[in-house]
Amino acid sequence: MHTSDLRFMVQNLTRVEGEGSLHLLVRDGAVAEARLQIFEAPRYFEALVVGRTPDEVLDIVSRICGICPVAYQMSAVHAFEDLFGVTVDPATRALRRLLYCAEWIESHALHIYLLHAPDFLGYPSAVELAKDHRQLVADGLRLKQIGNQLLALLGGRAIHPVSVRVGGWSRAPRQAALRSLRPALGEALHLAQATVDVALGLTPPVFEREPRLVTLHHPREYPMNEGRIVSNDGLALAPQSWGEAFHEVQVPWSNALQARGADGLPYLLGPAARIVLDHDQLHPLAREALDASGALESIRRNPYRSIVARAVELVQAAADAIDIVDAYVPPAQARVAWAPHPGIAAWATEAPRGLLFHRYEVGEDGRIAAATIVPPTSQNQAAIEADIAAFAPRILDQPIDVATHSLEQLIRSYDPCISCATHFLDLSVQHEVLA
Amino acid sequence: MTIPAPTVRVLVCGTADRGDDGAALSAIAHVLPSLEPAICQRLEIRRCPQLDATDLIDVSPDEACLVLDTVVGVTAGEVVELSLEALVGSATIAPRSSHALPIQQVLGIAEAVRGGLPAGRFLGIGGKWFGFGSTRSRAVREGMPAYERAVRAAIAGLAGVVAIVA
Repeated sequence: MHTSDLRFMVQNLTRVEGEGSLHLLVRDGAVAEARLQIFEAPRYFEALVVGRTPDEVLDIVSRICGICPVAYQMSAVHAFEDLFGVTVDPATRALRRLLYCAEWIESHALHIYLLHAPDFLGYPSAVELAKDHRQLVADGLRLKQIGNQLLALLGGRAIHPVSVRVGGWSRAPRQAALRSLRPALGEALHLAQATVDVALGLTPPVFEREPRLVTLHHPREYPMNEGRIVSNDGLALAPQSWGEAFHEVQVPWSNALQARGADGLPYLLGPAARIVLDHDQLHPLAREALDASGALESIRRNPYRSIVARAVELVQAAADAIDIVDAYVPPAQARVAWAPHPGIAAWATEAPRGLLFHRYEVGEDGRIAAATIVPPTSQNQAAIEADIAAFAPRILDQPIDVATHSLEQLIRSYDPCISCATHFLDLSVQHEVLA
Repeated sequence: MTIPAPTVRVLVCGTADRGDDGAALSAIAHVLPSLEPAICQRLEIRRCPQLDATDLIDVSPDEACLVLDTVVGVTAGEVVELSLEALVGSATIAPRSSHALPIQQVLGIAEAVRGGLPAGRFLGIGGKWFGFGSTRSRAVREGMPAYERAVRAAIAGLAGVVAIVA
């Protein structure tokens, strides 16, 4: 018996956040291993926050990601306020949702127009896409810009905002300042609705599977900062209780921990999970867009359709943001008083890429004694690997560049943020032929 | 009194709390007070922690652009000046993060959407320390006078003004 190997590499896979590689082992025509190898060095944020105060934690964890810093701040601030029994002003609650809307708008617009659309339209990057589809890219950039403007107004700056504090805000925005963005948000809503049509026009590769979906669920609103952790197989947990149903495992090929269900099986988070499990809570305008698309079932089954889910969530975020701005009256107090006490602070919120869980042990001195941060991408890793293993046999007989592109496109469907999980994707496919 | 339309958009990149990354912010803060009012009226200063294509797309045809930032790959404290076109064609470093688009893609997208890059220059200073909360490195501190002179000269050149206040 001898073994012949065929390998091919894609260096510097772009349009994903971070550095990693994919190793695919094909033995006798069957996929034996599909490994999302995240080799970026651990970033030690969980250690960096030890000894810090809760307010310091908010500024530190936002540095985990330049795209979803709000998510890190939201999971942390809600965890601390839950532990310390802090009740914030309703306007503060609305402003935090507005801050999240801004992040969803900039993150989803970036991914749809600049990172994922080139795959569907046959361009290697957004630069080449822009040469032929100038207005399309300009619309995406405008959406992202509006999201960033809103982030900057609320957070002090567009990247790594600094205004979120336990108990409220360092400074709540003035009504006039917020309303000055109303025209731009109206434009964002119009562009978001058009984005749904754009996404629907992008033909996805044929691939269906039955994923386990996990998300937050809130009875009265589309989930962002509050709700119970639910799944499409009956799970229902408090947002503090992620650890009762899920756990992290170390795999030898990744510097990021992977998360799995109690049964050891993978699960999927993110826009598709939210749309499928929370579509009844969508804003009426987003629900209208989803219903008109007729894409709910294909969003559930085909990972490439996540681009439609993101587009619907753009409508959701823009429409929600407009409602919040229109109703905004500044809080009586930007920040309510609170006092720390020891205990476990834990919470989950919905980052653009899915459920983000934080858990902190607060010591007698009110400082962090230990921290666990479970980002959506590390939770999605196992599901991505499972989907690659299921999809790969369909394209292995295709030319290497075509097969590689299909796999890259599949990985980008999950909008992985590898930096959050611990950054670059090299693709290595190894064919073993046993004779 | 009619205020003249700006003729130079200065895009100041970087963040003040990351050591040498704040060099451009510091430079423009020192240069502006030394400029004649007539020149200042012609400037639009835009702070952009991270250069975005939208910062370049709406530059009007009769406006020029000056991009200021700290750079890596050259000696710390060394001043680097390039045309925006040259920056597009410069050797690419594999991006560590593609959510933050590499400079060539930012400029490429702006060029494609705008139908061409605005006239302009890039002016950078080599950096060494970029850690959160760190101070500027000695090399960059020593290089700042030369960087500030270069910023003044570039503004004057792009504004079409010969005489400048040193």
